[in-house]
Order: sequence, then C-alpha cells, then structure tokens
Amino acid sequence: MSLALPSEVGGAVRRGLSPRTVIAALVLAAIIALALAAPLITPFDPLDQDLLALNQPPGAEHWLGTDHMGRDVFSRLVMGARTTLVVGFGGALVAFILGAGLGLVALSFGRAAETAMFALIDLVRAMPDVLLALLLIVALGAGAQPVMIALGIAFAPFFAYVARATFHREAVKDYVTAARLFGGGRLHVLRLHIAPNLVGGLITQAAILLPRCVVTESVLSFLGLGSSPDQPTWGRMVADASHYIETSPHAILAPVLAIVALTLSLSMIGDAVRRRLDPLRAADEAAL
Amino acid sequence: MTSLSLSRRTFLAGTAAVGLAGGLVPFQPRSALAAADPTRGGVLRYATLGLDTADPHRHTGSIAVQQIYAEALTSIGDDGAAAPFLAESFAVSPDGKTYTFTLREGVTFHNGDVMGADDVVANIIRVKDKVKGGWLASAMKLVETVTAQDARTVVIAMHEPYAPLVNLMSELWILSPKSPGWDDTITTPIGTGPFTFGTWQPKVKLTAPASPAYWRGGMPYLSAIEADLRDGADRQLALRAGEIDIASVPADIAKQLAKDPNLRVSQLKDAGWYFVAFNNRKPRPPFNDVRVRQALAYAIDKAAFINFASAGTGVVSNQMVGPGNLYFDDALFKADPHAKADLGKAKALLKEAGVDPSKETIEFVSWQESYPQVVVQMVRKLGFNVNHVALDDIGTQKRLGQYDWDMNCMSSGPRADIFLRYVRLMSDGPNPVLWGGIQDSAFDALVKKAVAETDLATRRQHYLDAWKMVMDNYYVVALGMDADQIVIRKGVEGYEPGFTWSPNRVDGGVAQTWLAGRS
Repeated sequence: MSLALPSEVGGAVRRGLSPRTVIAALVLAAIIALALAAPLITPFDPLDQDLLALNQPPGAEHWLGTDHMGRDVFSRLVMGARTTLVVGFGGALVAFILGAGLGLVALSFGRAAETAMFALIDLVRAMPDVLLALLLIVALGAGAQPVMIALGIAFAPFFAYVARATFHREAVKDYVTAARLFGGGRLHVLRLHIAPNLVGGLITQAAILLPRCVVTESVLSFLGLGSSPDQPTWGRMVADASHYIETSPHAILAPVLAIVALTLSLSMIGDAVRRRLDPLRAADEAAL
Repeated sequence: MTSLSLSRRTFLAGTAAVGLAGGLVPFQPRSALAAADPTRGGVLRYATLGLDTADPHRHTGSIAVQQIYAEALTSIGDDGAAAPFLAESFAVSPDGKTYTFTLREGVTFHNGDVMGADDVVANIIRVKDKVKGGWLASAMKLVETVTAQDARTVVIAMHEPYAPLVNLMSELWILSPKSPGWDDTITTPIGTGPFTFGTWQPKVKLTAPASPAYWRGGMPYLSAIEADLRDGADRQLALRAGEIDIASVPADIAKQLAKDPNLRVSQLKDAGWYFVAFNNRKPRPPFNDVRVRQALAYAIDKAAFINFASAGTGVVSNQMVGPGNLYFDDALFKADPHAKADLGKAKALLKEAGVDPSKETIEFVSWQESYPQVVVQMVRKLGFNVNHVALDDIGTQKRLGQYDWDMNCMSSGPRADIFLRYVRLMSDGPNPVLWGGIQDSAFDALVKKAVAETDLATRRQHYLDAWKMVMDNYYVVALGMDADQIVIRKGVEGYEPGFTWSPNRVDGGVAQTWLAGRS
C-alpha cells in the first residue's frame, strides 16, 4: 500500500534544509561542541571564587566577566551547558520512554487497561508542568537526576497522547488486521507492525518538547531546585545574577542569551523534523 | 528589694541577678516629638522576617512581626537593656529569686478589657504548662510560683536565681485569655499592641489595622501595617518602586540601594553571627574526630568570608558576640588559631587522623544563600568532595533535624539576652539543629551556673568557660559578626531599627512611625 503525496508536499520534503534550519543546527552543534569540550576550553575552574573580584565586567582575563562570587562567567556558561543539555535531553528521553512505553503497553492490553492508564495520565497532565516538577522534586530530592525524572514524568503525557492517537489510527489498518489474522499476539503486533509506524510522530513530539524541557530545567534551577547551588547551570546563573542586574548586567545576559539561542535552535530543528516526518500536516500548514 | 542604677554594660549583660529595679519610662515618641505634626493615617508596608504561627507563645527563632499586636512586661531598648513596658516597673530581690512586676495603668487588650495581674499570671502559667520547648522553657522550669499580689502586681518566685529572666520576659507575650484557641493553639491573638492581629495569610501577608484604644496616648499614627511574609522575595525592586516602605535586605543589596535618593539604609543595633557547625548529635566518621573538624576550620579564611557575607560591613570573631559586647573576650579573640586560614596545618591534621579527603564526601546543608558557598569552596580546597544541599528555611530545619549531615554554615540574629545564644547549644535547648544538637552535660552545667550566678564577673566567666568548651570540641566554629541591614523609604518618619528585630519597643518602632505625604 502506498500513499501519494500532493506534489507540493513532495517538493517540500525533497527540498533541502532551509537556511534557518541550517543556522539552528549550527548553533546547536556549537553549543554541544562547547559542552563536550568544556574541560579543555574553560580558562578557570567554574567553581573557583575570587572574592576580591566580584561582578567584574568582561575583560581580557575574564572574557564574560565574573559573577557575584567572583566566578568566571564564561567558564560557568560553558560548563553549565553540560548540565542544561544533559538534564534537558535526559528529561525528554525519560518522558519518551515513560509516555510512549506505558501508553503503548496499556493500549495493547485492551480498553480497560487503556482507560485506567490514560485516566492516570490525564491526572498528571492536569497539573501545570513546572508545578508538577516542583512537587516531584520535593518528593525525590534535589539534584540533576531527580530533575530529569521530574521532567520525564511531567512531559510523559504528551508522548502518551501521540502514541494513542497514532496507535488507533494504525490499529484499524489492513496490515494490522492481517497480522492479527495470522495469529500475531498483542505485543507481537505492537512491536513488529505498529511501533515502527509510531516512530515518526514520537520523534516529532520529542523535537517539540526538547526546548520545553530545557526551559523547564532552567526554571527549576532558577528556583534553586536543581543540583548543588554552586554547580553551574544556566537557570541558576540567571537566578544568581538577577539581584545585580543593574550593576552587573553582563552576568545575567550571558546565560539568558544562551538559553534563548538553545531553545530557539531546538525549536527550529523540531519544526524541520516535524515537516520532514509528518509531511501531510506540513502540507496542511502550507495551505493555510 | 534593692535599687541600683546600672551602666549600659551591666544592662547589656543581663539584669536580674544584680538586684535591679526598673524605673518608670515616659513614653515620648522621639521623632514624633521632633516633628511638629505627625501625619495620621496611611498603611506602612513592612518586610523583614516571617510569621510562623498565630500563637505568640509558640513562636521561636527571630521574631519580627508579632510585636506589632502583642507586647510584654519588658522591652529590649535600643541599648540592649530590658526596660519596663507593660509593667511600669520591676524589681528583683537581692538573692535574685523573686521578681516583682508592677503593671502599667490603663492598658487595655484589643477587645477592650483592662489588662490586670490575673491576665499576666494566666499568660505565664500558659507558657509554663502548655508550651514545650521555646525560648522560655528553661526559665519556666525554674518558676516556683506566680501570683497576683493585687490587681497591678505580679510576683514570680524562682527555685534559684535566673539572670536572664527580665530580658526573657520581653518575649513572654501578654494576651487576653479570651483569645480564641487559648486552651490549645491561639488562632486570633488579642494583645495590647498598637495594631491588632487583623488578617493573616500565612507565608503571604499580615494586615494589621491600628488599635483605636492603644495605651500610649495618641499612638499609633498609622492606620495599618501590611507585613509581607513571603520567603525569599526579591525586595530590591519593590523598595525602589515604592511598594515596600521598610525591608531587610542582604548587605550587598543594601550597598546598592544606599545610592537611591529615595531610600536610606540603617542597621539593627545588635549583630548577628555567622558560624560553621558540625553534626554533634550523630556525627559519622571521620567528622567525629576533632582533628578533622580542626582541619576544616583551618581551611576557612574568616576575613574573606565575613567580607563577602557582610559586603564589608562585618567583623571577624571567634565568639558568639563581637567586640564591644560584655561577653566578648579580647584575649580569646587574639589567641584564635583560626584567625587566618592555614591549609598546611589542615592537611597535616588530616594526615595525622589518617583521612584521605578525596575519599570523603561532606554532606553540607545550608539555607539558599550565597555565603555558605564560600565555605564550601574553602573546604573543597582541602580535597574533600562536598554534597551541598541548599534549602528554604523549613526544609533546612527538617534536614538538619534528621542529623544525617556533616557540616553546615548558618547565621543567627540578635537576641534579647546572651543566654538566648547559649541555650541553643544546650542538650535540651530549643531548636538546637542549626548548632548540630550538642549533647554535653559539662557544657550544660556551666551555662546553668552562669544563669544562676548573681555576680556579673563570675557569670561572664562561666559563659566564657562554656564557650571555650564549644571551641575546644569544635562543636561550632564562629566566623564573624554582622548587623542586619534595614532599608527605609523616604517619607517614613520616626522609625529606626532596634537592638533586636522587634518593630515595636519601649523607645521606638512602628507605634510612633508616620508617613509623610501619605495618608
């Protein structure tokens, strides 16, 4: 069975990456490269304090200046990228596994399991993301791993909903019926026949949620709920520098611009992924 | 009864055991007298500390809000001395065991009832019988009898002399026994203060309207106070925008705000102290080894720490009080082995103790402040791994109370009496978690001796001996002193911070504050 795409959609898919997607990919690649090479390129230990050089403006020694504790802002920014990326991406991964995994298993076990599981998911979804993550961190304790788990639980419903919608769309198709008629069990049909067709939608959802995970991680760090208070994360850098915004704006500008650059590039890439993996929806949007 | 006139130093030292009679204090508003015509009306927006409970008798820690609606027999004046307040005078017997308070005439509760001796006795008995722990617990244990000799005279007889009592009575709040919840937890305190309890939104705000029948004639001038009770709110912009009139802020922020022509910066008259404490109740190896604690103390550069924590306004100390206080010992200060950091000595001590710091992780707990991070970095330089957990106030208290940590870095504010600093270090002291829950009967005995001592010099020596014990065992390491910074908006007249956090006191505070150009 094949699906013929409208000619303009096929064109859109065949066309190469747009300039903005290329720029976004370059920005993201640069941030990831900086994070990976952080120990090699940071001129100072990001935890080292120079209590005689608080809130120093950018200069030859400290390229982006120092913060309120005399720590090198550039070094903290680069090392902070690691935490922000790991927690943000980790949170999205946990959400993917929890949401898609549990959702699909429940779906494959019939109506009762689906109703029970999605009632629970609806309950989770009823809470605002940040509030839910806050409550979970209170229960799990502070630190990078609890934040990742909290992000995962908070964002899991998004994957579950996509999995359910796609599952129901695919489950009524002939190839699934045929697989069942040939004696395929629920999990067998799910694993070999339905799951491969869900991947596109789920990856699209992951691309959309990644920047939200990054922003939420920054918000949680801003609220002081992330890792150890002196460990650099972008959200915590914003929180620390916010008290000195008038006298030392450089200390807050650097992490704010970094968060904007990362989330913007992730959003643009997410958009491109969505267009590529979900061409019908992209065509609908193009028609509008 | 003996009457003596005492110097400020003696007053600061605590009053009772030397045989003191408090004199009458005329209530004349300082700034208001200077001003020809204080403006009446207006709402003062005030933001310093929080309010944990509506029951004043159950509040511990630094108290900075409830004084606006609840008052006491005595009040700590600007010089740190206990002065008569709801009592017009007090006297202490020469043996230091009997305290007589003569109540002021014409004081009424917010419900209109006249405050009498029976009411005062009922309050003292309530604190003695119903309140477990708290500042007054050890004092109340020593109370033999409390009697209303007549309608205006209350006599407290103690089993033994108790020097801090008169100062501590400044925090034994006198409320109407008709206050709702009196038999259990008071929910709406009916006090005698210049403002009434009003509407309380926990952790948000308290709106306290003026009491129309306040006993200090003509006061208060304000129509209400709105106390901001939010934890961790950034007050800097609110002060600048004119949304808060009086607020406590960190020293470095105060330094910035001092440049604003609409704001002025003042300080509490007593200083708080910064310290590092170890887990003394359930210490785990190797932090139960005094050499390891000593090594950690050697890693701390006190001067750099206090300069950062106080934005240059504080002083280094190795005691709970600073220079100028009677209980400060200069010789002890000059002999401080930790006056300067010495990583060499620290490493040698660790080697002697057989400790490889790279294999040890210090569980470090603090509030969400910047200054503990300075200490964390200093001890990391010894090679220790540090798991630093920074929590809000309630979270910190809870975590410290679990005694599953090794080290902390905290601060503690001004107190109405030196005993209130020592009592937190006692085995049965109130809320001892910040100081690691010390359990040392020899220390307790020394403090008890100090409290019961009628001779001031001997009492001082007992306190110092107790402190030396704390230093020798490295239960707590004092780092320095710093006065809390209070920022006051232009147009707020007649307000100056006092010796403690109290916003309403015998010689100043919100009762005589008024707002110029706002009504």
